[in-house]
Amino acid sequence: MANAFRVSGLTKTYQDFVLDHVSFTVPSGSIVGLIGENGAGKSTTINAALGLIRKEDGIVSILDREELDGDVKEQIGVVFDGSNYPEILSPRKLNRVMKNIYRTWDEQVYLRLLKQFSLPVDKQIRQFSKGMKMKLAISVAFSHHSRLLILDEATSGMDPVVRDDILDMLLDFVQDEGHSILVSSHITSDLEKIADYIVFIHEGKVVFEKPKDELTERYGIIKCGAAQFDALDKSDIISYRKMDCEWQILVSDRERMQKKYPKALVVPATIDEIMLLYVKGEK
Amino acid sequence: MKGVLVKDLYIAGSNILVTIVSLIVLGFGLSFLLETSALLVLAPVAATTAAFISITSDAASKWNKNVITMPVSRSRIIGEKFLFYILLAILGLLAALVPCVVLACFDKDITPYSLCLYGSIGISACLLAGGISLPCAYLFDPEKSQIVFMLSFMASTGIITGLVFLINLIFSVKEHILPAFNIVLIISVIWFFISYRIAVKVYQKRDIT
Repeated sequence: MANAFRVSGLTKTYQDFVLDHVSFTVPSGSIVGLIGENGAGKSTTINAALGLIRKEDGIVSILDREELDGDVKEQIGVVFDGSNYPEILSPRKLNRVMKNIYRTWDEQVYLRLLKQFSLPVDKQIRQFSKGMKMKLAISVAFSHHSRLLILDEATSGMDPVVRDDILDMLLDFVQDEGHSILVSSHITSDLEKIADYIVFIHEGKVVFEKPKDELTERYGIIKCGAAQFDALDKSDIISYRKMDCEWQILVSDRERMQKKYPKALVVPATIDEIMLLYVKGEK
Repeated sequence: MKGVLVKDLYIAGSNILVTIVSLIVLGFGLSFLLETSALLVLAPVAATTAAFISITSDAASKWNKNVITMPVSRSRIIGEKFLFYILLAILGLLAALVPCVVLACFDKDITPYSLCLYGSIGISACLLAGGISLPCAYLFDPEKSQIVFMLSFMASTGIITGLVFLINLIFSVKEHILPAFNIVLIISVIWFFISYRIAVKVYQKRDIT
């Protein structure tokens, strides 16, 4: 399967933060969720990949092209946290602007999406709520026949109903195998619903890049007491955390663990729990 | 580039309209007190304030971050802003020319010579100021660039005075005022172009977050 998006060894150094040789891919026709706590490097990765910030090292390939020229950008839809459009404009005026920026701008699609999202066409963006601004940004991203969508915390600030609508739109979008999505979010429940792969970034490094199903169906948490924890084979443990009255141990194959430790309570792990145990747990 | 220009025209639209109307009204109003063509000195500078309204709006909405992900190169983003600035200056000049031409029809003392002279001074001041303030708008935060914007007009008058003194060393400016200010205009155009190239170079290397 070809990759719609690939970063390899992406590096960027700031005074107090290093994006350290980040590598992952977004296979064509898939949704990849980029997760990590605030300041982990998700936005830095996206910004460096999109050429907003200068990378020190590494390769970025978008739609099989290493040079991010106008032709490639024509096929990418990017949505940041916040609308990032001049607030004095109305969606109708924005349509005229975009018509002159994107060769592939589809006015019909744009107006249909505005209607679908119940966005007023002639109202200034400054009068929009945060949710409305995000809907507008998503409408723009969908209106120029993008092949790759890059969403950076795009669903934050939206109510669950709208978020659900947008997630459905994203799922519809990848029904075409030539379409792909990279979505960074700290709302992991959204990613559990739509993502095919999860890339977890922590302190500027990729901790893992795995199919979501592997995480949700195979990963598990052993909940046990101190004695049972001591008896565990330490090579089975990815990370562990001592809670008030129990130990939580992250394991990569919960069925095997259940067989190996029949007396232990092994429960499925959510992406949130996996992330928490990686970040806050000990190894 | 056209789309970005359309965006700027939308942002600065009402401001441009107010400036144009004010210049025309001021032109007629001043005709009773002084030579209307002198308005050509002020007009381009007054009209270009709209460019900074668009720059401030871009910064406030983080448009610069968004537009880089669109099929518009960094050099075109800068090029558009410089072009927008020139268009505003020309628009200001044309607006100020309206009362001049109308009053000239009524035998007011407006000569092609004075139009050329004042127009030349106005455009020179405008280009020199833009050459200072436009690159700074991409180097500094909006507050600092606003200060630079205001200072740039003062600086431009200082530079023009300095240039006139220098030209006066070569030939007498008093006897050849128009050629002297045409030289200043040529230097201003070159300065504006160099400033554009510098702004492009600076912006290519700048991290946009």
